[in-house]
Amino acid sequence: MARTLELAQLPALGRGFSLLGSGGGGSTTMLELLLADPSLWPITIHDVRDLDPSLPCLGGAFVGSTMLLGERLVGDGPFDELIAAAERWVGEPAAAVCSLEGGGMNGLTPMVVAGERMVLDADLTGRAVPGLDQMSLLVDQVPGVIATCDTGAGGVMLVDARRPVDLETLIRSAIVQAGGVGGTVFAGFTVGDLVEHAVHGSTERALRLGEGYLATRSASLPELAAALHGRVLGQGRITAIEPDARDPHVNAVDVEGMHGEVHRIVTRSETLAFMTDGRLEASAPSIIVTLDAVSRDILEVTDLTMSRNVAVIELPAPGWWSADPRRLRHVMPSVYGLAGLDGLAGLGGLAGLVGPTGLDGAA
Amino acid sequence: MTERLGLGALLAHPANGGLRLIAGPPDAGWSEVAIESTEADLPDEGADRLAILTAPPPDSPWQQDALVRRTRDRGYAALALPHADGFGTGTRTLADRLGLAILHVDRPMVLAKACWHLLEARDALSLEVVRKVAQSIEYHAEGLRDLLRNLSANVGHGIALVDSEGVLSEAGGHLDPAVHAAVDFAPWVDIARTGDGGTFASVRVDSPSREGLRLGFFGTGLGEAQVSALAVAAEVAMPAVAARILIDEVADVNDASVSSGVLRDFVDLRGAPEADVERRMLERGWRTAGYHLGFRIIGRSRLDALQLLRFVTGRLGDIPADSHATTSGRGVSGWLTFVEPPTPTQVESLISALRDLHVACRRSFNVATGVGSLESGSTGLFTTLNEATDAARVAMGRSATGWFVRVDGLGLEQLLLAWTDNDTFVPAAQSLLAPLQEGGGELLTTLAAYLDHESGIAPTAAALGLHRNTVSSRIQRVQELLGIDMDDPEARLALHLACRVVRH
Repeated sequence: MARTLELAQLPALGRGFSLLGSGGGGSTTMLELLLADPSLWPITIHDVRDLDPSLPCLGGAFVGSTMLLGERLVGDGPFDELIAAAERWVGEPAAAVCSLEGGGMNGLTPMVVAGERMVLDADLTGRAVPGLDQMSLLVDQVPGVIATCDTGAGGVMLVDARRPVDLETLIRSAIVQAGGVGGTVFAGFTVGDLVEHAVHGSTERALRLGEGYLATRSASLPELAAALHGRVLGQGRITAIEPDARDPHVNAVDVEGMHGEVHRIVTRSETLAFMTDGRLEASAPSIIVTLDAVSRDILEVTDLTMSRNVAVIELPAPGWWSADPRRLRHVMPSVYGLAGLDGLAGLGGLAGLVGPTGLDGAA
Repeated sequence: MTERLGLGALLAHPANGGLRLIAGPPDAGWSEVAIESTEADLPDEGADRLAILTAPPPDSPWQQDALVRRTRDRGYAALALPHADGFGTGTRTLADRLGLAILHVDRPMVLAKACWHLLEARDALSLEVVRKVAQSIEYHAEGLRDLLRNLSANVGHGIALVDSEGVLSEAGGHLDPAVHAAVDFAPWVDIARTGDGGTFASVRVDSPSREGLRLGFFGTGLGEAQVSALAVAAEVAMPAVAARILIDEVADVNDASVSSGVLRDFVDLRGAPEADVERRMLERGWRTAGYHLGFRIIGRSRLDALQLLRFVTGRLGDIPADSHATTSGRGVSGWLTFVEPPTPTQVESLISALRDLHVACRRSFNVATGVGSLESGSTGLFTTLNEATDAARVAMGRSATGWFVRVDGLGLEQLLLAWTDNDTFVPAAQSLLAPLQEGGGELLTTLAAYLDHESGIAPTAAALGLHRNTVSSRIQRVQELLGIDMDDPEARLALHLACRVVRH
């Protein structure tokens, strides 16, 4: 069922996608500014099942260091060249646009990309993830998916890779060449492909989460968690931040709980796990939201600094990941080489399979 | 036989594989131990056991947290493993919170052996300790202290030789006075304990020369098994220590008599160089070159010069100078030697240190002490020793100065008196002045005053409250009685001295 979004709902949508970022995915501020033009609104969001399955589709996202976007402002039509190259390769124009990453800033990217195309309420992750090889179409190995990306100074690269990891590695190096941050566009799939191989309703979910968050921001923590359909994991003060010996992107953040509990937040480019007193309480793909305990600001992993008082809430993982163990193993902490944090038994032993630098991490 | 094994006992064990408490309760105790390579291999039922892991823990903090949690959840009371010292504050706080003792151990298998000894193999523990005592005796020891050091180092616990007053000698630590106060000196074997875990397992020392000695091993937090093993060790070590005390005493007597002889020969030479004496002095480490400050401590009543010497040499180490001492006659002679001349301030502080030594000696011996002046060279050494002897002689009668006299603080007259106060001069003086004893000794009084006032009639009369004519007639009478020419300076000096000696 189609849904019409108004400009007034943009702040709620922004907060909702920030929550789905699980501490990563980048700040939505830049895209909220890009979308502040009233002429773009209202925007209609379509359900994939309502459209013709044969319609060609594409998805867009910013890749690289999200922090750089605050310094290097995005130009006019940042995805135009990439879409043109992709449509030329596919041989027909795309009629619909989906999101690549349903969390963080990229949740709003399709509305920037859309133009005349229909915007779908579908994305390839349902939350923020660090690697392009973690996109649902690649996880399910849907054939024919190609990607284009910036290479710097207006250049475009098109990758038609057979292995997801090749696509990730090539685009990652092209983005580095482009200056650390740039756009990427996935194409070569149809609306029908998204019915089975994508996460649905993330925009709807972000809107509900954002509205709930804004309504209960000043309420008690349990009330706020209830409004988000989440669970309070803990609250306390950050007493130590210990970097991992092997992966410099990984930090174990010590939080001294209100009643002396020993909490640990394990972060990489997103928050990956939460432990209390040595017990695993939550881990990816569950969404772990860290809020400033006082201001209730939604914190990115880089905002977790010494002595800050934080509150941590778990939101349920997008169901698409847990529907199949083969999908799950692409998104659990062990895929980043972190042992002992996988929430479900029997899926361990995959440590060191892939070690991407991160879709939204520091480039 | 099994008993409860306390963390304190394990920490006090010399071969515990480098055990350290990292976090958790410090008073933990267990009756059983589980040893495995990893946590996953541990028995499911922890049952308040100590778990020893031989493999190091995972290195991520969250895995360490989880390890602590799982171990505690299975009921273990403590976890010992290598590299536990790398645990972060979060993991340590968690262990404190869960009440699981985290122990770092460098060599887990050594710890496992220690646990086995303490829990199940007390005889093996005793045997091992006894074997170590035997090994210590096998090594050459320079003296009692050296033997105690050997024993302590080998057995791994502190050792002390005590009497009821305090510690006579100790090695490998310091025996807490509170523990010493708890020692019962009567039984053959005694185990003294204090509330804070201090223990001293001692046996009586059967020494013919010294009564009331005890030898024992001490430590903190020792368990029952360790204490009884150490008591056995003390029993085995005791005869060796008793023999050593005897050997040391014989050596001391011998050494003292030799050095006393050398000093006597040196003094006899009156500072004149003599090759043989110099060589013998050098053999004892006595140098005649440099600056010397002599002292002499003599008994005001009968005393054992050797015991005094032992006491003095023990205390001389506290004085910051190269010092030597030996027995001589019924006392001890000694001196401090300096390469560079000490400043007057230094000399004062050294003399004050010697006074402290004297005061310390007086607690056990009835002595008087004399100190010479600072002199240099071979002749100087002779001089200062001689001065010290004179000063000591004066000090014998000086209760006002606490039986301590230094030559610099002495009047020349006192020195002269000390010199003349001997067996030959006193009778001579008495017979010389005997004629003056008639008439109640007023002639002697007048003569003494007359000599003191430079042979002046008027001052003498004033001093004695007499008329001048009375004085002059009495002096005339003295001259007649003694038949001495009072204008002869030599005669006048002798007479003056004789007056002093007789009137003293």
